[in-house]
Amino acid sequence: MTNATGTIYSPGCNYYDMGFTYDVNRYTPKQMVIIPLILLVLALISIGITMAQTGLPVKPGIDFSGGTAVTVFTTDSSEQISAYFAGYPLVGIEEGINNGKYLTFSNMPDAQFRALSDLIMARYPDAKVDQIGEAFGKTLQSQAVLALIFSFIGMAIVVFITFRTFVPSAAVVLSALADILMTAGAMNVLGIPLTLPTTAALLMLIGYSVDSDILLTMRTLKRQGKLDEKLAGAFHTGIIMTTTAIAAAAAMWVVSWFGQVQVINLIATVLLIGLAFDILNTWLTNAGIIKWYVTKKGGPMLTGGFTPKQETKKKGGK
Amino acid sequence: MNKDEIITLLKDWRVALLIILVVASIIAINPHFENGEFTTNLQYGLDLQKGAWLQLEFKSEVVGFQTDKPTDEFIASLKNQTDAEIFLVGDKLEIRKLYTQAELTPIFEKAGGKITSYQQGVSKTTADDVKRILESKINSLGTRDARINTLTGLDGVTRYIRVELAGVTMSEAQQVVGKQGKFEIRIATTGNQSEHVIFGDSITGVGNPTQEPPGSGKWGVSFTLNEDGAKAFQAAAIQYGAVSDPDNHQLQMLLDGKIIYSAPLSKELAGNLQQEVVRQLVASTGAGTTGQQAAQTLEIHLRNGALPVDVTVAGSGSVSATLGDHFKLMCLLAGILALITVGIVVYYRYREPAIVLPMVCINASEIIILLGISVFTIQLDLATIAGLIAVLGTGIDQLIIITDEILHEGKVPSPNIYQKRLSRALGIIVASAATVVIAMLPLALMDLSSLRGFAIITILGVLIGVTITRPAYGRIIMAILSK
Repeated sequence: MTNATGTIYSPGCNYYDMGFTYDVNRYTPKQMVIIPLILLVLALISIGITMAQTGLPVKPGIDFSGGTAVTVFTTDSSEQISAYFAGYPLVGIEEGINNGKYLTFSNMPDAQFRALSDLIMARYPDAKVDQIGEAFGKTLQSQAVLALIFSFIGMAIVVFITFRTFVPSAAVVLSALADILMTAGAMNVLGIPLTLPTTAALLMLIGYSVDSDILLTMRTLKRQGKLDEKLAGAFHTGIIMTTTAIAAAAAMWVVSWFGQVQVINLIATVLLIGLAFDILNTWLTNAGIIKWYVTKKGGPMLTGGFTPKQETKKKGGK
Repeated sequence: MNKDEIITLLKDWRVALLIILVVASIIAINPHFENGEFTTNLQYGLDLQKGAWLQLEFKSEVVGFQTDKPTDEFIASLKNQTDAEIFLVGDKLEIRKLYTQAELTPIFEKAGGKITSYQQGVSKTTADDVKRILESKINSLGTRDARINTLTGLDGVTRYIRVELAGVTMSEAQQVVGKQGKFEIRIATTGNQSEHVIFGDSITGVGNPTQEPPGSGKWGVSFTLNEDGAKAFQAAAIQYGAVSDPDNHQLQMLLDGKIIYSAPLSKELAGNLQQEVVRQLVASTGAGTTGQQAAQTLEIHLRNGALPVDVTVAGSGSVSATLGDHFKLMCLLAGILALITVGIVVYYRYREPAIVLPMVCINASEIIILLGISVFTIQLDLATIAGLIAVLGTGIDQLIIITDEILHEGKVPSPNIYQKRLSRALGIIVASAATVVIAMLPLALMDLSSLRGFAIITILGVLIGVTITRPAYGRIIMAILSK
């Protein structure tokens, strides 16, 4: 790869490359969208399988399926803990460093929970206990799904109002959707459950992902200049944006992993996965579609050509 | 930059506003030492401080109905079949016993009507009653930091109520919510003396506060005694002279040994008691708002602190002081580390302290302002902190957009072009801010308990960014770059 990004900037300001050598102008739109497309199909398969098994796109955690979560700091081994809670539906023990343990129990009757609660307090008086009933979990679950759907629709409306042309707006919405679907697929593969915190993280991703997409679209559509230069410029800014977001999420991840703060750790994990996919979807999917759209509309046709059938007649205003 | 330039910069309203807000926020947060311990005015949720929460679900339902019969007659027939308390609320029925829709359908048919809607929960009024009862129970235990929220859906039906108690363990919280006061009725004899009449367990039913007679403006609470209680009441009233001389032998109601209500028998009731056992009584509390409030309090006491509707625990949780402090420390660490790593990444890119330093400072000031606002609006919990760190991430993103836009193709030339570039950057920022606000709005409006704070902080963060910190940064970076 000869053409590193960042070099188009004139001297006079101190720019340094981030070490990425991806050249957003090197590939044809068709080549660009192929990788995300394959990943999207894989994600959909993973989501489909989980959907068939649990009725939800991602396996629900205790917030939605009901159950009890316990955070403790103890030197007891997993075996000792299992033995101590014999007779209770203990389904998982996660161990962090620092002796932090995160236990999950499945649903149990009220009386049994009270007994468990006493048992926990007797041995681990400093524990954090959270219990969600099955019916309450169902209510939370339907609300969370509604929130995700409303958020997404709201975001799409804002994007369409901003750009007022179909293909660029659809490209932004599509790459945000791909972000969320790929992240959901990855959550299934990694065994990260859908809980209130991870729902929050997915919603946060909508915001982060649209950020760089809007930058890309604004820069390429609403500005004079050569497409190649505009794309490279947008990539130059966009990649650093996502990198800082990743840096913030990574800091959260490290501290929460070290300190066994499950809620923040889950949010950070989902954000990290989602932001990684966001780089892909912004600079391959969205950039690919925008490139195809701009070249098809006016400028000389480059090599290849990505022409989805339903959009061949759509011209759209500037 | 020389002294004059700095002064001009500080006089710019965007920069001045930012500085004023940061200072005001620090004052609001008020970091100080108290008894040798560092403390602030920040409010913490139950993740970050010792406490327990209970999510209670009402075992009751609100049902829409249709009938050709007179409503009174219809309700009476339903009551006969179900043995449940049933109230007409608006055009719907509140049935204070849990039945499924399938169970209710034949009952409604038999009474000559049909169900048009079914929703588990209680009406807003009942939910507020329950909230008041719980509050009074918690207050009676001394000053505890308690929050009680009813979660009312868009259809006006409340299914859940959430009780958060700071500083208590789970079993203490369960006791508080389940605790019943000791209610007693006594009759004044001579001087300060009084004699026991009945305990609260003799009261079988308590009505809602009503005007007695209706429309008179005088408030009261009706209550019903069981057969034995009514007999004891009659006997005591006669024995201690409350019937013959009501004014000097008032009836006293006591809760946990404290007199909470005292009034003479009415002439009419005194007369009746000489002839017969009376089970249905009304305690009047006076006219106007004061009378109404007194009636509401009395209702709670008459119920012995029992809730008008049965509840089950739908969810609960507790955090110990140790773990709360640990989480607090971790959140602080995560925030600081995030700020530092973001600073390093930005430095790696621009290699220019004059750009990076304002960026990081603006970013930090945004967090300070948000924390300042949170003192008055929301409690910080783990999800909210994650939201704060996310705001830090999106915030720096937008500063990068501004910087790159202004630096585009070289150094900043004339203020004219600078303004054009800045407004171009703000165009991108406003669009992406709008999407974040819209994306978070459902969460802020719906009540997913723990995620509400997260959504609100994210929205606030974006708004403050767009209106205050971004414009200020634009001004500052111009001064720095055009030197």
